[in-house]
Amino acid sequence: MKKIILLTAAAGCLTSLSACGGKTSQVTAPDGTLDKCTLRFSWWGGDDRHEATLDAIELWNKRNPDITIEAEYGGWDGWTEKVTTQLSGGTEPDIMQINYDWLVSFSQDGKGFYDLSQLGERIDLSQYDREILQFGEVNGILNGITVSVSGRGLFYNSDTYKQIGAEYPHTWSDLLALGEKFGSEGFYPLDLDAQSGGTAWYLAVVYIQQQTGRQFITLDGELGFTEVDIKAALDFYKELEDNHVIRTVDTRTDEDGTAALYQSPEFINGRIAGVLEWGSSVGKYEMSLSEGKLEAGPLLSDDSGNNTGWMIKPSLLYAISANTQYPDEAAEFMNFMLSDGEAAKLLGTSRGIPASKTAEKSLEESGLLTGLAQENDELLEQLDTMTISPYMELAQMKGFYNTAIEKISYNAVDTADAAHEMYVSIIDYLERIKK
Amino acid sequence: MKKNYRNPIGVKKYTGLLLIMPFIIGFIVFTAYPFISSFLLGLTDYNGIRQMNFIGAENYTRMLTDSGFHNAALVTLKYTVILVPLKLLFSLLTALIMNLEIRGIGIYRTIFYIPSILGSNLAIVIMWQFLFTSEGLANQLLEAVGLAPVGWYGDSAASMGIIILLRLWEFGSTMIIFLNALRDIPKEYYEAAKVDGCGRIRGFFAITLPLLKNVIFLNLVLQIIAAMQEFNAPYMITAGGPLKSTYTLGMLIYDEMFKYHNVGYANGLSWVMFMMIAVIVGIMSKLTGRFREEA
Repeated sequence: MKKIILLTAAAGCLTSLSACGGKTSQVTAPDGTLDKCTLRFSWWGGDDRHEATLDAIELWNKRNPDITIEAEYGGWDGWTEKVTTQLSGGTEPDIMQINYDWLVSFSQDGKGFYDLSQLGERIDLSQYDREILQFGEVNGILNGITVSVSGRGLFYNSDTYKQIGAEYPHTWSDLLALGEKFGSEGFYPLDLDAQSGGTAWYLAVVYIQQQTGRQFITLDGELGFTEVDIKAALDFYKELEDNHVIRTVDTRTDEDGTAALYQSPEFINGRIAGVLEWGSSVGKYEMSLSEGKLEAGPLLSDDSGNNTGWMIKPSLLYAISANTQYPDEAAEFMNFMLSDGEAAKLLGTSRGIPASKTAEKSLEESGLLTGLAQENDELLEQLDTMTISPYMELAQMKGFYNTAIEKISYNAVDTADAAHEMYVSIIDYLERIKK
Repeated sequence: MKKNYRNPIGVKKYTGLLLIMPFIIGFIVFTAYPFISSFLLGLTDYNGIRQMNFIGAENYTRMLTDSGFHNAALVTLKYTVILVPLKLLFSLLTALIMNLEIRGIGIYRTIFYIPSILGSNLAIVIMWQFLFTSEGLANQLLEAVGLAPVGWYGDSAASMGIIILLRLWEFGSTMIIFLNALRDIPKEYYEAAKVDGCGRIRGFFAITLPLLKNVIFLNLVLQIIAAMQEFNAPYMITAGGPLKSTYTLGMLIYDEMFKYHNVGYANGLSWVMFMMIAVIVGIMSKLTGRFREEA
């Protein structure tokens, strides 16, 4: 009897599990009409973005009383976990702000999100260059539309630089030389982290990409670096630490704990005088210093003036749930958020410089295209940039980079061993994930 | 006259079952179902989104060679082995003091219990984090007494120490259990022993400790289970660092599940954690079995 009960229970669980594993639900086709409905829209961000987005939603609700938008928003911490749970349970919002690497994690075959090319009448695709649209394609299927394109740039505390009497670096050798000047005062010209931002590895990658012309991870998820390249990148990082350009992982965690740099007293009081950050997210650093203190600096080149290797990516995309009952209505709202002139003014640069031509023009005409995000954008536009592979940003990959950086920073292993371990882990992981 | 008390409500034999149905339903939905499902999920390559495939024991064989798992298991065991005895000792000692007849003892008991109420509070964890930064209160105190400041987060022993200290600070619940047991020991035992010339220390080892055996075991088991599942404190305070020296099994399971989307593997890991706790508690129970029976 006991056995029978157990077996029945197990069979019951298995059936319900296989139901949640196999997404066989039918995708609702667009019907060409706009019906009365309520849609959910979710995003993450800081307060500036929340307020701007809520204002835009209010405008939409005023114009379209039949299609009500319900907002779901919060901070970045834990947001991926929340959306993962929603997606696996099929309870995700109709329209979502998604991160670039989610295309790989959640929609490897291109069927994880709604095929937006079916909604071409509602979404004005002519707003975007072909290259920009391609960011949102998986397996040839248009899964998301890029909200803005952004790259990491260097931002410095102008007060500290003036106090030390230093110029912003133009080349890698300039940067290395700054260490001594700042070090004698107990200051640091730059900060790199081996935590959620992972800027330590990012800068090392830029340096090697510039030297070799090889892309670290290709767009289709192949490792472009050799083991020697990885070792050279790690050596470069170590050189930055040794030359007092950045704090060691030990010093950094001792001073800041696990707090983010923009909340760190060391950054706020100007002892740490530089940060590598996305143009679309630099606002929070700007806000923790007094106005006008943070300035965008040149993107570094080698001594011969070669300034390639810097990277860009879609900072955010909008996608529609594959389970939505109202694809037409969702697409209409998405287009409003992306390309409506009035909405663009309300949204400002809270998601970076808009990729949509109408939205950008609207901002330009109303004089809203200013600030560090814009300056960084202009700097990147002058360079021959590379597009970041979505595979590079996967959480597990960041885990590999940070582990290696941490290990060499603590001198737990030498750079050759760390490079070998990282190389093997990446090859193994990329193979597993693409299976 | 003989009364029939067997069935006070006087209805069918399933009445009892019906009455406990709320519990049974809750148990099936919230315990039995997740329990069995997680075992079955542990045999798949499910990633939370895609169709899952049955892969047999592959997740478990992967654990054999997964150095990340080995490290997390070792860290968790080390943490448990250091924390649990310390906490039991400290709680027992405080309970003994709290059992003394002092004026206003009730106030002290309340004060000592406060950390346990606050312990799971996020604000406390964050405050804890700031206490141990390089300019934090802990280092200021060390410097005040002429000691060298400690790099708490950069040193693996020190960062493990921070977490152990936090959990040690929350000794209230363990103390209350001890205190209740202490108050249950009849005073006559001590008075009789005193007549026979037994001192306080002897009294503790000859009377108190033997009578507390079962409670000590209960606290031991509860604390082992809690320590083996530790997640909050290292996640919030040290983020598992430096060099994964505070990266517990709980954190590994969380990362595999929510960060890396390895749902199958995470569920397999949960089962291994469950088996580890079961085995440890089983061994403790066996080792202390005879000792406890004597009580």
